[in-house]
Amino acid sequence: MRLVRTTIGGTWAIARREFMALFRVPVGWLVLALYAGLWGGMFVQFVLVPGAPATMRPLFATAAWLMLPIAPAISMRLFSDELRTGSYELLATSPATDLSLALGKFIGAGLFLLALLGSTLPLVAVLLTLSDPMPDAGPLLAGYLSVTLLGLLFLSVGLLASTLTASQTLSFLGAMLALFVWLLATTAGRSRAPEAIGDALATMAITDRLEGFAKGVIDTGDVAFFVVLTAWFVLAASMCIGVRRWL
Amino acid sequence: MIEARNLQKSYGRVHALSGVSFDVPPGQVTGLLGANGAGKSTTIRIITGYTAPDAGWVRVKGIHASREPIRVRQHIGYLPESAPTYGEMPVEALLRFRASLHGLRGKDRRRAVDEAIDTCVLQSVRRRRVGGLSKGYKQRVGLATAILHDPAVLVLDEPSNGLDPGQITETRSLIRRLAEGRTVLVSSHILPEIERTCDRVVILAGGRPCAEGPLDELLAQGDHELVCEAGFTDHRSGAASARTIEAIEGVTAVVSRELDGAAVRWRVGFEPATISETDLRQQIGRILAGSNAEVRLLERQRASLESLFLKLMEQGPGAIEAGRVA
Repeated sequence: MRLVRTTIGGTWAIARREFMALFRVPVGWLVLALYAGLWGGMFVQFVLVPGAPATMRPLFATAAWLMLPIAPAISMRLFSDELRTGSYELLATSPATDLSLALGKFIGAGLFLLALLGSTLPLVAVLLTLSDPMPDAGPLLAGYLSVTLLGLLFLSVGLLASTLTASQTLSFLGAMLALFVWLLATTAGRSRAPEAIGDALATMAITDRLEGFAKGVIDTGDVAFFVVLTAWFVLAASMCIGVRRWL
Repeated sequence: MIEARNLQKSYGRVHALSGVSFDVPPGQVTGLLGANGAGKSTTIRIITGYTAPDAGWVRVKGIHASREPIRVRQHIGYLPESAPTYGEMPVEALLRFRASLHGLRGKDRRRAVDEAIDTCVLQSVRRRRVGGLSKGYKQRVGLATAILHDPAVLVLDEPSNGLDPGQITETRSLIRRLAEGRTVLVSSHILPEIERTCDRVVILAGGRPCAEGPLDELLAQGDHELVCEAGFTDHRSGAASARTIEAIEGVTAVVSRELDGAAVRWRVGFEPATISETDLRQQIGRILAGSNAEVRLLERQRASLESLFLKLMEQGPGAIEAGRVA
């Protein structure tokens, strides 16, 4: 019983510390300001167009690409910074399990991602106030859900990268490169690959999964795609932490 | 309380530990000694569960560290070398976080944090950021995080490292206070610190155990030495007396140091099996009386941990087995 309490308590304690820590360092505020600023700029450019339909669809499409550098920038310090400063030794010798460590870090970073998306909500309020007729709620919700799921998936990849190196720069570049290769291989790459490989790549295509959300359709299969892959990367990160004990 | 058996660990081609076994009895402060690279930190990291051994095992309070690592970690309070921590966090927030990791909640957590702050005398800095504290305070914060969950075992890796003499004295007295009712394993290469703090020692050299046992017993096996200070009428008679003492059967060495005027200080090493301390004292007394020297001091020199350590480093692993715990 004490073990269960320690595990759950440990996960939440790590998540809370990680979330708060991102607001205690300049990089957290910088990412937040950058993200909100970019959304604001795009909102003015693509959405606040007189006579155009009241939709944030162009924003969600671009937001997905924005996640490519943003998510690794959030995740790069999760374990890399602990490994660099040595504070990882305190975490690794606490009663928290390896899964607790990985999950706690992931939840903390995920909460920060939600804070980023939360900073864009005033734009929705502006759109709802100025638009006539009012935009549909479905595409709006689906759009935010797609960016959230995509961001969490990218964060989990970044989390895994950060367990592999003590360098934040390497963690950032490694995660971004992996995600870029993933996107490239499942879009441009699959059309040039042999049919069998192309089909396999198609099942892993993130962009295909986002199309449904963009139309305002929330397909459980698409949601499951993101959830399962995210869980897999978090689990892989916890396994990497375990492997570190044997090195 | 802690049993380590045949611990082996390699990093690539480097053998960090090659069969380290020792016991840390309950309620005692045990020092883990060794030169840099002797395997102290690796041993400690295996005990605390940070790293796994290639072979061998560790039990803490009878719990197998490899089989039940989480349970073992619940019983250990650990201060890593240099007390790494989160510099951006205020002291109190850091302690609350660490207490939560140990499953403490609500009133229990508040009480644990307050007690740790009181014990480690951190009241004046409880709201300050850890990164802005002096090294001595950071070390105290590290110790406070180690005792939050009231562990039965404290493991401290180089707790005096990088501290000034005043901070070393403070940390030493704090460790003695924390050791009350606890089992403590403290690693260090600052030998006088270990001598003042520990009841027993385990000495490692090149990843192997060199000696183990109660500190007094080990020191009793060190060099036998008499220290003599005498004033002579001139330097020549002093040198002649030193040569005469060196020629006594059973005397192994006479190390001479000049003091003020024609006075000298000798460290006379001897083999107790050949000549007793009383006989040697009498013979030295006669030699000095014959030289009309004024005897200022003639006493037995207790072997220091430093001299024992240096002797063991010269002789290598297995030098002293008598103090080994069965």
